[in-house]
Amino acid sequence: MAIAEVLKVQILAHACVKMEVLSSIQEEGLIQIEKADFEELELQSSSTEVTELEHRLHRLSHVLDYLSRWEGKGFVKKLFTQKPQVERQKRNEVLKFDFIAVLDKIEKLEDEHNELLSEIKFLEKEEEFLYPIKSLSLPIKSLRPTDSTEILLGSLPISSYEDFQEISKKESLWFEVIDQDKRSLYLMLIYPKREKDHFEKTLKELNFSPLFFTEPILSRAEKQDGVKEVIKKIDVDIEEKRKRLEDLEKKGQSLFVYQQKLMVVYDVLLNERDKISSFSFLGETERVFFMEGWIRSSDTKKLKSKLQPYSEVTEIYLREPILEEDPPVILKNPKASRPFEVVTKLYGLPQRGSFDPTLPMAPFFFIFVGLCISEAGYGLLITLVSLFFIKFAKPKGSLLQFLKLLCLLGISTVIFGALIGGWFGFPIRKLMVLDPLQDPLSFLGIALALGFFQVWFGTLLNMINGIKNKLYLQSIFVQGGWLLLLPSLVLYAVIKRPIWGILSLSAAAGIVFFASPSRNPFARFFGGLYSLYDISRYLADVLSYSRLLALGLATTVIAMVVNTLCQTALAIPWVGWLLAALIFIGGHLFNLGISLLGGFVHSMRLQFVEFFSKFFKSGGKPFKPFELESKFVEFI
Amino acid sequence: MALGFTLAVFGGALAVVLGGIGSAIGVGLAGQASSGVMSEDPEKFGSLLLLVALPGTQGIYGFLSAFLVMLKLGLVGEALKSLTIYQGWQVLIACLPVAFAGLVSGIHQGKVCASGVYMVAKQPKDLMKPVIMAALVETYAVLGLLITILLLNGIKL
Repeated sequence: MAIAEVLKVQILAHACVKMEVLSSIQEEGLIQIEKADFEELELQSSSTEVTELEHRLHRLSHVLDYLSRWEGKGFVKKLFTQKPQVERQKRNEVLKFDFIAVLDKIEKLEDEHNELLSEIKFLEKEEEFLYPIKSLSLPIKSLRPTDSTEILLGSLPISSYEDFQEISKKESLWFEVIDQDKRSLYLMLIYPKREKDHFEKTLKELNFSPLFFTEPILSRAEKQDGVKEVIKKIDVDIEEKRKRLEDLEKKGQSLFVYQQKLMVVYDVLLNERDKISSFSFLGETERVFFMEGWIRSSDTKKLKSKLQPYSEVTEIYLREPILEEDPPVILKNPKASRPFEVVTKLYGLPQRGSFDPTLPMAPFFFIFVGLCISEAGYGLLITLVSLFFIKFAKPKGSLLQFLKLLCLLGISTVIFGALIGGWFGFPIRKLMVLDPLQDPLSFLGIALALGFFQVWFGTLLNMINGIKNKLYLQSIFVQGGWLLLLPSLVLYAVIKRPIWGILSLSAAAGIVFFASPSRNPFARFFGGLYSLYDISRYLADVLSYSRLLALGLATTVIAMVVNTLCQTALAIPWVGWLLAALIFIGGHLFNLGISLLGGFVHSMRLQFVEFFSKFFKSGGKPFKPFELESKFVEFI
Repeated sequence: MALGFTLAVFGGALAVVLGGIGSAIGVGLAGQASSGVMSEDPEKFGSLLLLVALPGTQGIYGFLSAFLVMLKLGLVGEALKSLTIYQGWQVLIACLPVAFAGLVSGIHQGKVCASGVYMVAKQPKDLMKPVIMAALVETYAVLGLLITILLLNGIKL
């Protein structure tokens, strides 16, 4: 049921067509390659080529990253731009373009750019260092130690200034204050060379930190240049470098035209790398190579026609999977329920012997989300927005399926919103069949009835699956017993006709005698009796569906609250209408957000915990064909 | 008479306050975890936001219940109702399920979401799995809300 048939495919071919055959397979994306396990065949690795390609890919992605600086910004624009399209067969033509030269060019540009940036940063640091002593008017070159004296510039914390003055009074130390800020004084000191060690030690104790002119400063200081002149010179240099930076920026912009081509190159090389890495899955001898994998049985014709040109040197074998093998799973559903595969995949793919639960789950999920949100206005909004995205952003793959799912759920929300909810908080009474605010118990009854039906249906599916897998006794008496017991118990409780009582008792008997696999009659009886206790689980499962009422009511009431707040805001003079409009839009969007999230997640939980647990076993592996991957472009 | 009315208002306030505390702690826990993850990987903001917002529903349920109380008491729009002391107690008690279930489940849902954030950091594709785990905790807040609504609906003023 709804799982596509998968066959094992084995291809044996002459080594001279290895590349061509692999390329064709990759182009079509039909086969999931498995590791060939034949001891006689040598599994070869081709690591040098892969490293080479990887190195190029790395360079490309780096350069593309750099080029993206000139891309137009804007989130919305990005969302709606489509990937450039490239024809599959002609994809390798792009490699004729000498992309290595372009890469070199752009990389050189980037290096220059970075170098300039770091130079500017360095100069700015130097300047910063000079600022505190800029009022020093002496020429920098003249600040040199003489034969007998040492000269030193530096900063001293204000707190130790008094101690410092004491010392300078007593000892042979001359100083001048150049400048001062909140925390420190900037000083120039002169002291005799022979007492150097002593002064250095004392100064250190006073937390004096010396400043030394660095090479770039000294080199800029000509004969009579003081600190101020040097700062000016540095400023000029920075300015000049900034200009060069601007030129580079323009140059980079002119190289931006290569962006698209490089993107194509990146994707093509990416696939080349994948192809060469896949060699490690092949078995090879000197003249022949062998590969095996999985293929959808409906795709075999396509494969054969694709490999037709090499038919003289290739041989294709197909067979059904054997019992020990675990073939990958492909879900196959009709168009209407395909979007719901998103939900199934989230839980896990069916393992071998189980079946695809998407189709039986889809209608329940559809109804539950509608009931949870139950607000027709929101449903309309969800449907329109998702349709808009599908139309204009042209998404592919799983995103498209998800948007389709949202669209369907929006429709469901419109239906149930009209029946039991409102339109942005305003109910249209004529369309409504039930007002859950006035009559919550009826709605609760409906929710529980839906739950009862789904739980019962899950058990039915379990019985059918059991019979298919030839577990006759267990399926008919135990699952069948529950199938009979649950409704007859409910009917007995409601109508109180003895016939329902008798039916429930006989169903319970079936469960008691067949639920336990033990051969010992006592163990069997009591084990069966114990399994009757499962009824509490069924009860809890059904009650869990009461959340449909709570979530549905929550949406309705919050929508009402928003509208009430709007009315209150309207009473404010002058700006009332503006406030009311803001509250209306913001409030309803907020409510839409949380109720969509809540409706989605809780409906999903009902499927996973209450429904799937009855009959579904996950654990299948997804089908991952060897195909053209793409990051920037789309292969058509 | 006035005491009954006060008790009912107190019930509504409790629903908002306790549900709000639960949600605030829960969202706080998940938010801290997600900031940590985002410091390494800022691109995850969108998917983490979902997990951080999830424990926020308890506060909303409390708010919603309080609003129902206000409707019931005629604090919104219509004329004020007068309540006996017993009726006041009834409304107060009817608010307790959503208040306490919200308080405790909000905190614990926050913990589940916080660990879910760590999981998404390592397995970005499995975003929905921790969301479902968190929804398992939220069930009890939903049930609390359900009973509060049913009780409020049943009380005759």
